[in-house]
Amino acid sequence: MPERVDRDRTPAYRFLGVEVTRREAAFLVLGVVVLFIVPDLTTVSDSLQLSVIHQGLLFGFAAVGLNLLLRHTKLTSFGHAAFFGTGAYATAVLARYAGVQSVGLLLLGAIAAATVMAAIIGALSLRHTGLYFALLTLAFGQLLYAIALGQSALGGSDGLPIRPGPANQPLLFGTAFSPDVYQVLTYYLTVVVILIGLFVMYRITQSPFRNALDAIGQERTRARFIGLPVRRYVWAAFVVSGIYGGVAGGLYAVVRQYVRPEGTLFFLRSGDILFMAILGGFRTLVGPLIGGVVLVFLQDVGQDVTQYYDFLTGVVLLILVYGFPRGIVGSLRSGGIVNTRLNELRREPSVLSTWGRTAVQSIERKVTEALTSLRIILFGVD
Amino acid sequence: MLEARNLRKSFGELVATDDITLEFGKDEGELVFIVGPNGAGKTTFINLLTGFLSPDEGSIVLDGDDITGMSANGRVDAGIARSFQVVKVFEEMTVRENLRTVVLTEQGKTWSLFSMADGHAEVETKVDELLAKFRLEDAADTLAEELPHGDRKLLDVAMSFGLDPDYLLLDEPTSGVSTREKEYVIETIVEVGRAEGVTTVTIEHDMDIVTEYADRVVALHQGTVHGVGPPTMLETDDELRRLLLGVGDDE
Repeated sequence: MPERVDRDRTPAYRFLGVEVTRREAAFLVLGVVVLFIVPDLTTVSDSLQLSVIHQGLLFGFAAVGLNLLLRHTKLTSFGHAAFFGTGAYATAVLARYAGVQSVGLLLLGAIAAATVMAAIIGALSLRHTGLYFALLTLAFGQLLYAIALGQSALGGSDGLPIRPGPANQPLLFGTAFSPDVYQVLTYYLTVVVILIGLFVMYRITQSPFRNALDAIGQERTRARFIGLPVRRYVWAAFVVSGIYGGVAGGLYAVVRQYVRPEGTLFFLRSGDILFMAILGGFRTLVGPLIGGVVLVFLQDVGQDVTQYYDFLTGVVLLILVYGFPRGIVGSLRSGGIVNTRLNELRREPSVLSTWGRTAVQSIERKVTEALTSLRIILFGVD
Repeated sequence: MLEARNLRKSFGELVATDDITLEFGKDEGELVFIVGPNGAGKTTFINLLTGFLSPDEGSIVLDGDDITGMSANGRVDAGIARSFQVVKVFEEMTVRENLRTVVLTEQGKTWSLFSMADGHAEVETKVDELLAKFRLEDAADTLAEELPHGDRKLLDVAMSFGLDPDYLLLDEPTSGVSTREKEYVIETIVEVGRAEGVTTVTIEHDMDIVTEYADRVVALHQGTVHGVGPPTMLETDDELRRLLLGVGDDE
């Protein structure tokens, strides 16, 4: 599936190297406005909770980092929770044992720890590609999970609180705030970090470094034979993507003021992060972030509606893979499947019946195939 | 000068390269063609020279330095570029982006995380030159995977030239190309190679092309050097003719 970004599009605005068309500029402004008014929106509706959206944004931010690997080097990491968890635990350890109170310093600690961890895990797992790479990242992630679970200094399965100093909470701008204000302020901190992070990622994806990563992802052998030290580049991308995870994890710890192995390091969190990138559209910059919010929201709503909420996410994944492989943002952008279909419908409403027919036919075909396979498995004959 | 000294490589029982000693580029910018029947070890030999494979025995020497243990990408930096028999280009990039990636790499700019990939004037100039030299201007904004086969071959070769090599090893640049396009592809290679003084080592099956363009011909057979000489060797060496064409004078 080639990446058909409108190569002949005409950007209307240019700012700090960011080039956007009118349409994109409109979405950009809308997105930023929405991000900033989320705390107000959550006071209007009960179904929207600030903490849920905040958590979605944080995991989504880790997914933005993961996406650098997924989109360009075409490597699938199944262990990105490792960096999220490293960031979160580094924050907790600094607060608990070093008495660090400043949010800024805590986040710097999270970044440093995640960078070191990504450098080590990257160096060890990038000897392989494909399945073995995925398995190695999964294994390292589980290793860290086991360490967090087993170390009493890290709180075991109970986890660690982040309640440093007499104020019993990290300080923003050297000041302690009431819990409600703290939640809103950290949310805005997250928004600012995300906007900076997206900007940095955008610039990276316009840079020569991206060309190197694309080359490696598309034709690894040729990449070596144009003179690229392949593993060093992939390693660098891995570290950058790990840093995004670390920042997200650090913010998560600061916001929740508590870290547990289940919530940060467990391998299902790695799966979530990967799912978010694909759900939102891994061929886009902001897709993973939106995927993060949508997935965490779905899981939260699902938990209220039914105890089988995993079923819900499973169904969403199936619809996604069969119907919208380009994800939410990938399907909605100009030239994406949704716009194309809408245009068709506007031009000739009768296509609807054709779609209905093809949909029914393809379902019939799938069912027949499945039944045939089942028959072969059960009776050994066709 | 690029030298192979007593190179040996086997895959299990099969000896693909059996004690080959050759040198290229004694005359700078020479056009050498490697000929030989299928299974003669032509591709293996190129793979050994470029670091795609490492030899069991023997050494590879570039301008007096032993580069046998050097990585593939290190050899590219040292001035040895190659193309592949089956086109290996970056399929999801346009022709221009393919060349840009190559030139950015060659000029050591790929570690730049915050400059614009298309914002380096000297890179863009070089890319435009390559597009013109290989007559790919019209296809510049076409995705590599959508190119006709002849253009894909040209792009592959253009990418190798974009690395500013001293030595260029081409593995059947005309394979799968229609007879009409063949001339065009090889002429472009010869033209650009001559103009830039690149020593070119090309594996080729079309004897008309070899006869017309070669400065020197290396014939391989069963992993060994059957003979080295001027292209007239193809006419005079009966055994070679029999090996290559399956015919002899007694036919």
